[in-house]
Amino acid sequence: MAKKIAVYLCSGCGLGEGLNLEALAKVATKEYKIELVKTHPALCSAEGRQLIQEDIEKEGVDGVVIAGCSPRVNTEVFDFGPNIIVERVNLREQGIWCHPPGDEDTQMLAEDQLRMGIVKAKDAQVPEPYKVEEISKTILVIGGGLAGITAALEAAKANYPVVLVEKNEELGGWAARLYKQVTLKPPYNQLEEPDIKDRIKALQEKPNVKIYTSAKVEKISGAPGLFDATISTKNGTVTERVGAIILATGAVPYDASKLEHLGFGRFPNVITTDMLEEMARQGKFVRPSDGKEAKNVAFILCAGSRDPEHLPYCSASCCVDSLRQALYLKEKDPDTAVYIFYRDLRAPGQHEYLYKRVQEEGVIFFRSDNTQIEEGSNNRLVIRAKDVLVNEEVIVEDLDLVVLATGMVPTTALGEMIVVGAEEEEEKGKKEEGPLVRPDVYFRCDLLNLEYRQGPELPTLKYGFPDSHFICFPYETRRTGIYAAGTVRAPMDMRTTIVDATGAALKAIQCLELTAQGMAVHPRSLDTSYPEFNLTQCTQCKRCTVECPFGALNEDEKANPLPNPTRCRRCATCMGACPQRAISFKNYNVNMIGNMVKAIEVPEEDEEKPRIVVFACENDAYPALDMAGMKRLQLSPWIRVIPLRCLGSMNLIWIADALAKGIDGVLLLGCKHGEDYQCHFVKGSELCNYRLSKIKETLDRLALESDRVRMVQVEIMDWHKLPEIIEDFAKRLEEVGPNPYKGF
Amino acid sequence: MAVRVNPDFYRKLKKFGGQSATQCFHCGNCTVVCPLSTEEYQFPRRFMRYVQLGMEEKIKHSVEPWLCYYCGDCQRLCPRQANPGEVMMALRRYLTTTYDWTGLGRLLYTSNFWKLFFVGLLFFVTLWVVYTFHGPVVTEHVELETFAPAHIVHPVGYIFGTLLAVLLLSNVYRMYKFILGPEKISLPASVYLEELKTLLLHFFTQLRLRMCTDKSRWIKHWLLMSGYFIAFMLVNIDMVTRWSLTNEPPAWWHPAKLLWTYATFAMLYATTEAIIGRLRKKEPIHQFSHSTDWMFLLLLWPTIFTGLLVRIFMEADLALPTYYAFAFHLAFTVPLLGLEVPFAKWSHLAYRPFALYFIRLRERARAMQQPQMATEAEAQSA
Ligand code: SF4
Ligand code: SF4
Ligand code: SF4
Ligand code: SF4
Repeated sequence: MAKKIAVYLCSGCGLGEGLNLEALAKVATKEYKIELVKTHPALCSAEGRQLIQEDIEKEGVDGVVIAGCSPRVNTEVFDFGPNIIVERVNLREQGIWCHPPGDEDTQMLAEDQLRMGIVKAKDAQVPEPYKVEEISKTILVIGGGLAGITAALEAAKANYPVVLVEKNEELGGWAARLYKQVTLKPPYNQLEEPDIKDRIKALQEKPNVKIYTSAKVEKISGAPGLFDATISTKNGTVTERVGAIILATGAVPYDASKLEHLGFGRFPNVITTDMLEEMARQGKFVRPSDGKEAKNVAFILCAGSRDPEHLPYCSASCCVDSLRQALYLKEKDPDTAVYIFYRDLRAPGQHEYLYKRVQEEGVIFFRSDNTQIEEGSNNRLVIRAKDVLVNEEVIVEDLDLVVLATGMVPTTALGEMIVVGAEEEEEKGKKEEGPLVRPDVYFRCDLLNLEYRQGPELPTLKYGFPDSHFICFPYETRRTGIYAAGTVRAPMDMRTTIVDATGAALKAIQCLELTAQGMAVHPRSLDTSYPEFNLTQCTQCKRCTVECPFGALNEDEKANPLPNPTRCRRCATCMGACPQRAISFKNYNVNMIGNMVKAIEVPEEDEEKPRIVVFACENDAYPALDMAGMKRLQLSPWIRVIPLRCLGSMNLIWIADALAKGIDGVLLLGCKHGEDYQCHFVKGSELCNYRLSKIKETLDRLALESDRVRMVQVEIMDWHKLPEIIEDFAKRLEEVGPNPYKGF
Repeated sequence: MAVRVNPDFYRKLKKFGGQSATQCFHCGNCTVVCPLSTEEYQFPRRFMRYVQLGMEEKIKHSVEPWLCYYCGDCQRLCPRQANPGEVMMALRRYLTTTYDWTGLGRLLYTSNFWKLFFVGLLFFVTLWVVYTFHGPVVTEHVELETFAPAHIVHPVGYIFGTLLAVLLLSNVYRMYKFILGPEKISLPASVYLEELKTLLLHFFTQLRLRMCTDKSRWIKHWLLMSGYFIAFMLVNIDMVTRWSLTNEPPAWWHPAKLLWTYATFAMLYATTEAIIGRLRKKEPIHQFSHSTDWMFLLLLWPTIFTGLLVRIFMEADLALPTYYAFAFHLAFTVPLLGLEVPFAKWSHLAYRPFALYFIRLRERARAMQQPQMATEAEAQSA
């Protein structure tokens, strides 16, 4: 708790004119007995900062409340080191910029916001970073293909020790089975020897790299900085202490036996990409039916990919692989007739040069849907397709070989599928009631074998890929300190894989370094707070261990939560989940927010000034409110905004606190959830929604209408919708009438 | 009707200079930018696909290649360097050999051996004929008619010319069959006659070339064309007035002589410019030269030049040089006309205006059918 709090009011940016700062100062001095209250024309100026700095040094101030601009701006200016609590009261963006300056209601809003700021500063403590003794800075790379080797090499180059585990006898994976690769340098369209051997050699020459081949990860326990990996190797089982993990186990080709509709298994001369690659390595392109040389060859792309019956997604590299293979055929014999049937030719970036080269060599392309294949005489194949360019059916006859460009299936999607519902314990049997939380899906793929309460492998996002948010945080899986790279993460080609693996190595290093300093890794990088569990209050209800979106909490035999702070992302979802209020952060906890709610002054009913508490997610909704201010959109004067780390941290008790105090309504603004969620903590906003389904009981107990609580999903670009969203809610509250608890 | 993909056609078209067709990825920029492509006659993108798929029948029956005047806008803008203008050119070369029933055209276009063989043959045979059959050689002063008696040269020339015209028109008839044959149009003879105006208009003006963005091409081409035409007419007039093949040439201001001077310089300028252009390869039309393009220019330029020499030597009254120049003039003229007009590049002088003539016939036929169709539809609905 801050010992000495000082309040600084900024009169710059029109605040001095738009608000009665003297009255505001009085709130601090009279109501909260704060001695040091100062006003300055520009707190963000050098002198303004100096003023605060001096008070910290001379007066022993350790809690600074700054009323002025949004906490999202001037963050460095108002950073006074880790030991000073700084609370910013947003009177500019969310004050005079979206409410009429000089207005009585605007003044009341500013005063309430100041009250909440002071209360928050009072309740906050300086976080002490969670530091682990002897954290390991070794990086474990699982998979020794192009992605694994690249990640290991990059990490080793940055002087981090690496342990690499490869299941096969030899390193190299898929890349080592190639006949030729396409040059990764200009002109980007030549065939050359695969360079994977050079990469392997470079890795083997690194002194700080330990490579286990014919090896497998049996078990991983612990947390970032403290993982213990049990690895079975040719020479028995070993245990390695590692700090971070890169999963680079790649993908496998889609099972072609499921592609009977494209002739595989029915006609001997229908083969797959892999089979043609093998022929190229043998130096002969022949018809499997009679071993005769193939002179007419067709490729069918998207074989199984982009097909809801098979793989609903684009496998990203089969177009480019087929282009490369077409070049094999043309380089061997320019007179070989080569046809490519595609749906969309996806040769992004520099691959365009390859595509063009293949066209120059005379390969004929067909853009067609619904490509049909038949067998003619002498095992020759016939393809029929609708050519969209001439808008007619085209027939290609006398084909010696048809190559199916099979898509890729991530290795994380192999094995038995396990569905874990976050609400499993509570919702059993009564699914219809209330919104459900999307269950987590993972496969028993036997890659990581984590000793995590929430399952042994990475939860998958879609189609079995272990991503967590492919747009905002592409490398992050749902397990802190474990990064997926290469084709296991998303379908990709060689060039992308190299970039991807390098990125994953950097992410792993970032994890090690931040963990060593006791800081959150992602997305609240640098945050030193972490959840503390008051187990004396815990009733073993398991809500926290079930709901933590990142599997940070294990359980002991008695179902007590066992926190692993280095796995934690500091979202505070556990805090929101806990009915016992047993979980808190030094600078963010249930009482603190509850006290903030209670600090709001609720006018008597006859004053006709309703009050709405807005809990806004810090990641999207709060910045959206700021943006509304920057665009000078006008918002309802009745709102009082409280930022939350994530709506997942929303504890139902706050709603009860608010309504019991006579506040008319509670509006929750959080990220989009569901299938294409945008929530930075994956499930936070969804879990909040789920908890609201239970608020009804509370409201009923208070004899209040359930309309008084509303949750709306907003993304940052929805800023322009905010006036309407808020107005709409205010109108509804007007219809419902004032909260009967006013004045109690 | 399903299209059977035929890879052999593309292999064949390579010989005509159309190998870049496979590079097209059908963005359609070329057709959009082409100033000559229309709603009904769209090119060149569509033809890139026909070539890729080997749709030979479709191409054989198409008139579009003759509607392209190789202004090259498409080529400049193709993002794929697929050279659509050159592919259209290759299709014209291919069509020229398809219309030609003798098979000589195909030999000229696809084989350098035969090209050299026929040019050489006609060249040396002509020289040999002049050497063997020329009249007495008067060396005191120029007596061209004594050397080459007009009563022999003119009739031989006419026989030669008639033969070429018959060959060319027989090929035009095959072109007609290919383009309009499948439609089985029936028109009264008067329409065929009426529409001759279209034919003549385009023959004399090459108006469509003016639709190209770069208008200078039309001027250059028209210079050349007017030169040919005037030269052709003057050769005929020589029969009557004897301004050229005579022992007593008229004075320099004789109208025929003045016209002739114009024709010579117009043609010399245009051909020299074309040769330089093909060497520099700056303009799309000159970027890719097929061997037959060089054959044409390398016969045409010396023909004009030796003609000029004959005139100069005559004016200077240098007897032997005149006879030599005359002999070589003939030696270049015979293969030029004999090969180029019915079988090779020069045949476009007929194919281009005829293409427009056939289109007009098609339009007329449709216009005549339409009222008929309308009444039929009415009858049906009633
Ligand atoms: S990369 Fe190409 S072939 Fe593969 S799924 Fe995507 S579009 Fe289809
Ligand atoms: S819910 Fe969030 S804050 Fe709580 S343990 Fe899990 S990651 Fe950490
Ligand atoms: S501009 Fe080039 S690539 Fe595009 S359609 Fe025309 S020829 Fe093809
Ligand atoms: S060369 Fe000119 S006329 Fe011919 S297709 Fe191209 S743009 Fe059209």
